[in-house]
Amino acid sequence: MAIKQEGVLTISEFPTTFTLEYPYTRTLGPVIGPFLTALRDGRILGIRCGSRVLCPPLEFDPDTGETLSPDFVEVGPAGCVEFWTWIAEPSRKHPFQEPFAFAQVKLDGADTAMTHAVKAAGPEAMSAGMRVKAQFREERTGAITDVYFVPEGDARDVAIAPGEGEVAISTHLISLTFEENLYPSRARYAQGLLDGKFIGQRSPVNGTVSIPGKGYDPLARVLMTEADDVELASTGTATSFTVITPIQYKGQTETEPYVSASIFLDGADQALSMQNIYSIPVDEFREGMRLRAIFKPAAERNVDNVDNSWMIFTTGNVIERWEPTGEPDVPPEEFPEQI
Amino acid sequence: MAEHCAVIGVGQTQHDAKRIDVSQYGLVREAAERALEDAGMTYADIDAVVVGKAPDMFEGVMMPELMLADSLGAVGKPMLRVHTAGSVGGSTAIVAASLIQAGVHDRVLTVSYEKQSESNAMWALSVKVPFQQGMVAGAGGYFAPLIRAYMKRSGAPEDTGIRVALKDRQNALKNPYAHLKLEGIDFDQIANSPMLWDPIRYLETCPSSDGACAMVLGNAAVAKKAPKKPAWVHATAMRTEPTMFSGRDQVNPQAGQDCARVLYKKAGISDPRKEIDCCEIYVPFSWFEPMWMENLHFAPESEGWKMTYEGATALDGDLPVNMSGGVLSSNPIGASGMLRFAEIANQIRGEAGEHQVDGAKKGLGHAYGGGSQFFSMWIVGDQPL
Repeated sequence: MAIKQEGVLTISEFPTTFTLEYPYTRTLGPVIGPFLTALRDGRILGIRCGSRVLCPPLEFDPDTGETLSPDFVEVGPAGCVEFWTWIAEPSRKHPFQEPFAFAQVKLDGADTAMTHAVKAAGPEAMSAGMRVKAQFREERTGAITDVYFVPEGDARDVAIAPGEGEVAISTHLISLTFEENLYPSRARYAQGLLDGKFIGQRSPVNGTVSIPGKGYDPLARVLMTEADDVELASTGTATSFTVITPIQYKGQTETEPYVSASIFLDGADQALSMQNIYSIPVDEFREGMRLRAIFKPAAERNVDNVDNSWMIFTTGNVIERWEPTGEPDVPPEEFPEQI
Repeated sequence: MAEHCAVIGVGQTQHDAKRIDVSQYGLVREAAERALEDAGMTYADIDAVVVGKAPDMFEGVMMPELMLADSLGAVGKPMLRVHTAGSVGGSTAIVAASLIQAGVHDRVLTVSYEKQSESNAMWALSVKVPFQQGMVAGAGGYFAPLIRAYMKRSGAPEDTGIRVALKDRQNALKNPYAHLKLEGIDFDQIANSPMLWDPIRYLETCPSSDGACAMVLGNAAVAKKAPKKPAWVHATAMRTEPTMFSGRDQVNPQAGQDCARVLYKKAGISDPRKEIDCCEIYVPFSWFEPMWMENLHFAPESEGWKMTYEGATALDGDLPVNMSGGVLSSNPIGASGMLRFAEIANQIRGEAGEHQVDGAKKGLGHAYGGGSQFFSMWIVGDQPL
């Protein structure tokens, strides 16, 4: 790890990688639902809008916003390419893993074009005005990917048996992997966690110590540098907490109620919020409790979930557990209200 | 303010856990078309559209303004998107009002929505979003310690939150659009409901809803020709503060106090408790009613709970709060703030139906978002200020 010179816009070389992923659903409604149901059954529908036929169909007139009545018209299966672009290096999410074209295809009987994939031998096989035809896939689920287009002469017949029921909801696994470089102050905080230490920052303006530091005093808007870093104790006082009963959702790892506490480390003026505590029974946890962070062995520590966010609660995956120090509780009047 | 602004049309959807009968477009259009009908207008009469929704992770739609432009009749017109977390419904209405007040437009359609069933709210508020904050354990996990701190600070009786929830849930029974309508709800049902985020019980928590809200705003000339009584915007205010800094008062945030002060000043209000007839405020967890009563200067610090206890905030109290059942009863997050603004406008217009406060002449709409850090508020009255 190398940290470049401190500065507001300078970033460190402490990359962290995250994947954001969720199976979103889409309620298809009275127009896209029948459109995808028809695709599953090997037909392509447009919708009448005044004197035009829109394909893909919309629930409303795109010019005026007026609701369209569900007056569907079967279009295609062949049509003309209006514009196209060649995808020489498809990505993981593209409809084909070999090179293909994305094209605006105006189907016979429709007045608007649909963006879709055309499987052609190469860019030389593509041209504006060329005729293409729908090629339905063997396995269809009621999705826009049930079909693709090929040069009209290449289309082969597929026997299509209509499916059962209406397609009403579609599911899309949306996934994004991204890398984030930590700001220098955050990188030092992360490095501290890896070293088994809590690194905060003391404001040169009013002397208050925040953890983690932001690299600046957020109220005075004054830059803080490595010279303002302070190492804090691994002991502190629980100042507020909640018991969380986990709700289940995809990716949820918690199953049992657990304590989420704000811990006011000795020497800090800001609580380390939302520290999950599993080692102390929920009914024994209380405000004022003295706690000590027990770090994992160095080889087992990681800071994979530390990022640059301004509302950071994470201490990475470096703490084995928070355990009571055995000292008497701090009376409420002796610790500031910190959440 | 160069021009007066009035609410001349209000529309909202039926709110529900899953509106599987409509697409996102259909949901938003259901509210928009009801507001247009209420105002005696069509999309063609509208000069500009201002939309709002809460964090993008809820539906995975990054640019709702782009997605909704043609479905809201905005083709060839200005369209804006506003984003201030949970307060967005309020700030969206304020941006729309400012376009009228500044004399830029005569008639503005403003819409906000959330279709929470397209993902999961707790996931969307816990996941690490690229280059943004994570909330770790949903909104409840974030706000529970604040409530605990308020309880300690104020010495409020432990059942205050249950009483708020009971009142709001009973009010919701009078609101035909409410998501949660719990017939026969009583104190014990709420008290015995599971503790989700201690001290927040299940029935003291807002639901996740699919829903939308819309308003048509117009200037004085437009309002005078409106088919129904308008609600005149007397003042709007927004304030912001950072989520975390050493010494921050998260229970009674400075930004909220300042926002209310400047709002009352602009509206010529010196004694809000006396001069305001009723409020629709953003209470996603029951305890936020007493907390916001203090933050909004209706009660001295640590005494907000007394208003709940004395029945002041009940439908027949001297300052009814959340007559519609509030966020506790319907929570399409992006729309929740606008629902507060629209419900209070309907009170002033005499259009609130069974949950109407008799003779309401001046009302407060309030929304907050983020970690209690974005505030948006408006005062509406039955006459122009």
